[in-house]
Amino acid sequence: MLSFAAPWLLLTAAALPLLWWLLRILPPAPRRQDFPALRLLLGLTASAPSPARSPLWLVLLRLTLAAALIAAAAHPLWNAAPPLAEGPLLLVVDDGWAAAHSWPQTRDELLRLLDQAERKGRPTRLLTTAVKPELRNGGARAWAETLEPKPWPSDRATAAHLLEGSPAAQVVWLSDGMEDGGSQTLLDGLRKLGPVRVLAPPTSPLLLAPPRPELAELTPVLRRSSNLPSRTLVVRAADAMGRTLARQEVRFEDGDDQKDAPLSMPAELRNRVARIEIEGENSAAATVLLDARWQRHPVGLAEAAPATSPLLDDLYYIERALPQAELRRGKLGDLLQRPLSLLVLPDGAAPPEDAALRRWIEQGGLLLRLAGPKLAAKPDGLLPVALRNGGRSLGGAMSWTQPQSLGPMPDSGPFAGLIVPPDLKVKSQLLAEPSLGLADKTWARLEDGTPLVTAQRLGKGWLVLLHTTVWPSWSDLGLSGLFPQMLDRLLALSQGLGGGSKDEHPLPPWRLMDGFGHLSQQTGLAEPLPVGPIPPPGPGHPPGLYGTPESSRAVNLAPQLEVPEPMSLPAETLGQKQVPEHDLQPPLLLLALALFLMDMAALWGLKRAGMALALGLALALAILLPPTAGQAAAPLLETRLAWVKTGDPAIDGLSRQGLTSLSALVGRRSNAQLAAPTGVDVERDDLAFYPLLYWPVPDKPFPLSALAQERVNDYLRHGGMILFDSRDGGQGPSDSLRLLTQGLEIPPLTPLPPDHVLTRSFYLLKDCPGRLAGGAVYVQQGGEAGHDDVSPVIIGGHDWAGAWAQDSSGAYRYPAVPGGETQREMALRFGVNLVIYALTGSYKADQLHLPAILERLKP
Amino acid sequence: MAKRPSLFLWNRAQALAEPLPPLHLRAERVAAALSPGRHGRRRSGPGDDFWQFRPYQPGEPVQSMDWRQSAKSDGLFLREKEWAASQTVWLWADSSPSMIWRSRPDLPEKLEQARLLALALAALLLRGGERVGALGLDRTSSALPRLQEDLEAAPAALPALLPPQSEAVLISDFLFPLDALKARLTAAPVRGHLLHLLDPAEEALPYQGRLRLAGLEGEGEMLLPRAEDYREAYAARLAEHRAALGRIAAQAGWSLTSASTIQPPETVLAALFPKLEGRC
Repeated sequence: MLSFAAPWLLLTAAALPLLWWLLRILPPAPRRQDFPALRLLLGLTASAPSPARSPLWLVLLRLTLAAALIAAAAHPLWNAAPPLAEGPLLLVVDDGWAAAHSWPQTRDELLRLLDQAERKGRPTRLLTTAVKPELRNGGARAWAETLEPKPWPSDRATAAHLLEGSPAAQVVWLSDGMEDGGSQTLLDGLRKLGPVRVLAPPTSPLLLAPPRPELAELTPVLRRSSNLPSRTLVVRAADAMGRTLARQEVRFEDGDDQKDAPLSMPAELRNRVARIEIEGENSAAATVLLDARWQRHPVGLAEAAPATSPLLDDLYYIERALPQAELRRGKLGDLLQRPLSLLVLPDGAAPPEDAALRRWIEQGGLLLRLAGPKLAAKPDGLLPVALRNGGRSLGGAMSWTQPQSLGPMPDSGPFAGLIVPPDLKVKSQLLAEPSLGLADKTWARLEDGTPLVTAQRLGKGWLVLLHTTVWPSWSDLGLSGLFPQMLDRLLALSQGLGGGSKDEHPLPPWRLMDGFGHLSQQTGLAEPLPVGPIPPPGPGHPPGLYGTPESSRAVNLAPQLEVPEPMSLPAETLGQKQVPEHDLQPPLLLLALALFLMDMAALWGLKRAGMALALGLALALAILLPPTAGQAAAPLLETRLAWVKTGDPAIDGLSRQGLTSLSALVGRRSNAQLAAPTGVDVERDDLAFYPLLYWPVPDKPFPLSALAQERVNDYLRHGGMILFDSRDGGQGPSDSLRLLTQGLEIPPLTPLPPDHVLTRSFYLLKDCPGRLAGGAVYVQQGGEAGHDDVSPVIIGGHDWAGAWAQDSSGAYRYPAVPGGETQREMALRFGVNLVIYALTGSYKADQLHLPAILERLKP
Repeated sequence: MAKRPSLFLWNRAQALAEPLPPLHLRAERVAAALSPGRHGRRRSGPGDDFWQFRPYQPGEPVQSMDWRQSAKSDGLFLREKEWAASQTVWLWADSSPSMIWRSRPDLPEKLEQARLLALALAALLLRGGERVGALGLDRTSSALPRLQEDLEAAPAALPALLPPQSEAVLISDFLFPLDALKARLTAAPVRGHLLHLLDPAEEALPYQGRLRLAGLEGEGEMLLPRAEDYREAYAARLAEHRAALGRIAAQAGWSLTSASTIQPPETVLAALFPKLEGRC
């Protein structure tokens, strides 16, 4: 779509016919010719005077020149964005939680509008609408670049108040599309200032409600507005390091507004889940943090004197009976330090008069005491019922009775409904003193009614006694299938809780979520979490983890929000496929220049139009081409490494220094001569020239645009190699790395095998340290024959540039921890290996080093 | 636009003159030159033709007596031969700036053509036993290379007085005021020949379009808005000029030949030959 920035100049095109007439009328410049017989001509007049006419092609040339100049002056634009009017501009940006899922598009549009306004010199003001809205008059562009969505709702009514008294302006409202109650107020306020244009994202946000802690399977609930089309989403559970533990696909059908996402994972992993999020949403409302409350019940097994054989040990049977629970063995005192839901005290373990133990039970713990000879000999005070001295043995040699089996489980206890196997026999048991409340305290009894399991409520917790042993000396209970079921019921009874650390005081903020759902250590204006109900989300109480690193409490955003409904205002859709705007003025001016040169050439007497044309074009091209051709040639001529610009000058500077010293080192130690490394911007530069890209992961990465993803995928497909360095010690692919590499074709990865080519491409290495050490380095699993089995991606976190970087005086900038200079030498060797690997592929996988390796393997 | 004349112009001239027979001038007034030639001087002197018998005076060489005639009559007679002397021809090639021009690169410059023709003529004349020299210099030469040098060294302007008792050949474009020419021709009792040499562009004015013409001898410049329109008028003027030239030549008894540089020099020589021989 062609448009003109200064269309009135096109009116001068009306003068073109006049120009045509003039050019035809005006005679062309005369040629000079020497003529000796001039004497004879002097004084003659023409026999038939007729006007000399310029040749037609010259006239057309000059007309085209004039037309090109007029068109260029009118500044034509191809696919120009709709022009804003003149006058001041007010940009209203919704930066509440609902704006996070479409933030990249919103930000792009905001910056584009600010650029356009700057070009036209319009004063711009910026208004944000999250809780504590802000209105800025100057410095809008710099502020806009740092804007991020906030993890609390927007407060448009207050924003409307801020506008009172504002001068008239044109308004563009980049909204999040969701209604929060104050939209109409804000819109009315905006309409008073001038024409309002509302932009809204094409999709609506999603909410992820946390799962109920008591259920065995974690099932978060996805919520969205009703009447929306079908969509498939993926819910991901990750642990504290960002490793994925489970993924579940969820499909919303047309009109669905709520869906469960059962995350099935092995029970061992369930307790490690720290975070559940909707993949791709990148919003605080779509992220759920889990704390200790969601953990399955940890079971503490207090150790008594070690048994002579494991089969004689009660705890052995309990461990076998609770395979999926988190079991902890230890001394009583240690066990009580950490939160426990069930504590098993076998016969003879620890002084029962422990005040901490009693307190723990009162705070909600379930203590299961097991009977045995020691308890029979010396019953103590921490028992649900009084015991009669001595036990009772059934079916022994000296008794008249037979070993008994269990009676049916009472309905009032937690064992209701369990089927008792008929062949389970109890030979010996502790007897309880009959008392009034005994029947209520009995949870299981034998056939004759004597209690087998008694329990007493102490405060919030239970004190439970099993009147027989678990190991088969007194009964078959530990061997039967009933026992695990009973234990499960007991576990379910005990709610997960904190041990001695349930605080009654406000929790300080520890890690807070930003609008994208990322945790960071910055606390900003957050206040400590008060005791009692959680306050509504705002700058003082953002979602995140409060407390101490050992016991933190998760505050999530989604439970405090209602499902948003779309705004009922007419809005344009944001982020439509942006067609790039082409400025046609330079090409037209170039055309005018070329025509002018041709005219000059024609003036010099070149009769043939073709020659003049060629000369003009040649001059025009000669002016244009050399600068661009020179630029493209430089990277091609020499091999050089490259680092990816992250935008953070500290990281970029470190990358530059690291790669520079690595290039020099490789040149000294091997035959590969590398030129100075360059920084590349994946959005703009061509990656094909560089054998190796070093990509440090920034602290706050943005996912790549589709164009950049395509470039990088192309690079990887065609034999490029990228070293991703997450610079955090390398304990595993982190969230930042995952975000950065969204959309890239990373092959399946495996930790670096010890015999990988990378460890022997130049030096023989055992590991790959950088400035840090101890983490894992990941390479492609297997190999692709088409790529000579070379891994296109190497991922680690050892901050290699930090180890390689030298400052201007040649000293290394950072110490290598923990290995010191030896580790640095290994890091340098790793760097050389990496470069040789990138340049030569895997040919070093052959038998080159085999004799040396065999030599080293010799004992 | 002056081009240094070829060093071997005389070579070409000689080649040109080769196919033609030696040129004997019809000499009417022959200078009192002692060099033997073919022109009878109407007096006794060295020569080949019979002049007269006269009585023998004692003291004269005996070999000169003609015995046959003495036997026929009384007395002793000796045979006298006619004094046959050669004629001197002065050649002039106009080397004014207007001659150093050609309209197309494939044509020779008028001066070059003029000198070529002059040297070819000289070769013919020398073969015919005449003496040739460059007008303006006072010497003759019988070697063509020397003649070429003389032609180049001769002063450009037409000398005020033509040497008497000789012949002259003037080769020029005669694009100067003709009064000077007329004065010189009528002044000296010299018979001569004019060769009017023009460039074909000067004959036809073949230009088109808008021209600014510049003269070579300081005549100034002239703008022709449309050159085609001036052709007829120019042709008329040229015809007038030629006619005037013809009248001057006729009055002085000289011959006039017109030539163009586009014509091959053999043609021009062939046209000049009979004029010099006196047959036409």
